[in-house]
Amino acid sequence: MDTRFTELLTPFLKFLGEQEITPDAPLRELGLDSMQAIELLFAIEDAFGVTLADDDMNDDTFATAGSLWSVVHAALGAHHGADGTQVRAA
Amino acid sequence: MSAPTFAPARPAPAAGPGATAVADRVARVAAVAAEHVERTDRDASFPLEALQEMRRTGLLGLLVPASHGGLGGTTDDVVSAGIALGRVDTSVAMIFVMHCQQVAAVVRYANDRLREELLPEIAAGRMYLASVTTEAGKGGHLLSSRSALAAHEDELLLDRFAPIVTGGEYADGFLVTMQSPPPASPHQVSLVYAHRDQLTVERSGHWQPLGMRASHSVALRLTGTLPAHQVVGEHGAFRTIVTTVFGPMAHLGWSACWLGTAAGALSRVVKLLRSPHTRGRVDLDSELLLTRLSRARQRIDTVHALLERARQVVASADDLSVPRVQLLLNALKITAADECHRAVDDLVDAVGMRHGYLKDSPTRLEHSLRDLRSAALNYSNDRLHLVDGKLALLDAEVRLA
Repeated sequence: MDTRFTELLTPFLKFLGEQEITPDAPLRELGLDSMQAIELLFAIEDAFGVTLADDDMNDDTFATAGSLWSVVHAALGAHHGADGTQVRAA
Repeated sequence: MSAPTFAPARPAPAAGPGATAVADRVARVAAVAAEHVERTDRDASFPLEALQEMRRTGLLGLLVPASHGGLGGTTDDVVSAGIALGRVDTSVAMIFVMHCQQVAAVVRYANDRLREELLPEIAAGRMYLASVTTEAGKGGHLLSSRSALAAHEDELLLDRFAPIVTGGEYADGFLVTMQSPPPASPHQVSLVYAHRDQLTVERSGHWQPLGMRASHSVALRLTGTLPAHQVVGEHGAFRTIVTTVFGPMAHLGWSACWLGTAAGALSRVVKLLRSPHTRGRVDLDSELLLTRLSRARQRIDTVHALLERARQVVASADDLSVPRVQLLLNALKITAADECHRAVDDLVDAVGMRHGYLKDSPTRLEHSLRDLRSAALNYSNDRLHLVDGKLALLDAEVRLA
């Protein structure tokens, strides 16, 4: 997982404490609230310049840091492939 | 306080349900509910006779698979039963659909040992289950809990206060949400089963509400020690149970009860207007009356259509967690709560003071209106609108379920 991604996630996880965010970190249990999903989505879009598909807005995507990252990562790939340019770093 | 005592229930017939068989059993419960509805509402007392009939007819085991002695019914059967019972008594209907919601969670998520212990007992009519999800100070938030389960070797220590437990004083067992054992966060919620004889059950306060008086939804403190296998699903799995079973069953079941209540109210009004006694004394060409009847009927048909659609989507969708499905299920609950109440309110205007406002009218609109006033508060519409606003933002394409 990209460090920008874990840094972006941290403020949403109020029960994270001193733990490190690993791919299997359970986002809901660590404090991600469904009411915050849109804010998290905006943060991801701003940081990575990608738009996540509406169909990815489900419980599986938001289950763990790894599952969310894989969706972001896939969107980055699609973005890269679509216009043939490097993905802009935030 | 002691557990209620009943004569041993006759075992449920082993045959599979079939729509007629279920409808017959529901009709028997409805008939018993009708005999006692006036008294249970007046006294705010639990409908023990209707519960006893649910035990006797095997209806408490509606969702228990036939392999465990139950009727092997479906969510569709629960919805139909909710509507039919709601026509007679909203409290009885709610008691039944909420029991079914608990059974559905046990059927789908309990481990084999717990299923073997519970399902035959439910099917035999010996077990009425109540839900303990409310908690002081969390504002109705279903997916968090501040009361932590303590794990001690192979046991779970339960100590839980709940301000509202429908039928709690008469339940044989409870499904209780608790914060998972340490080091869990308040967002890690477990669902545990507790049998009444495993608990000390203390009631506090009085039950004296505006409506839903027979639901006897008292405040309880439950304390006890439970074997570890009585966790339903894994620790922390309550969110999944809510998305797949509890949420859909709650919104479909409640909406069915409210729809039945409004449909029953309209039916009684129309029968009154058509009765030989009233005929000729009411102007059936009154445009005000006709418009009000039309509006009430329109609201009822709207809720019915939405309920039918939501029921199809729940039966067929691969993933109930996506925004469009969550939005549809929430829209069902919000719309049913608002429109069923307004339908009966329309009817009060339609028939006026004598038959719309007085307790002793055969229309029983006064009772239905009081019951339906709770609908918007029962998992608050205000809270659901906030959730739906956020969900709407997540669905930019506005995909319709």
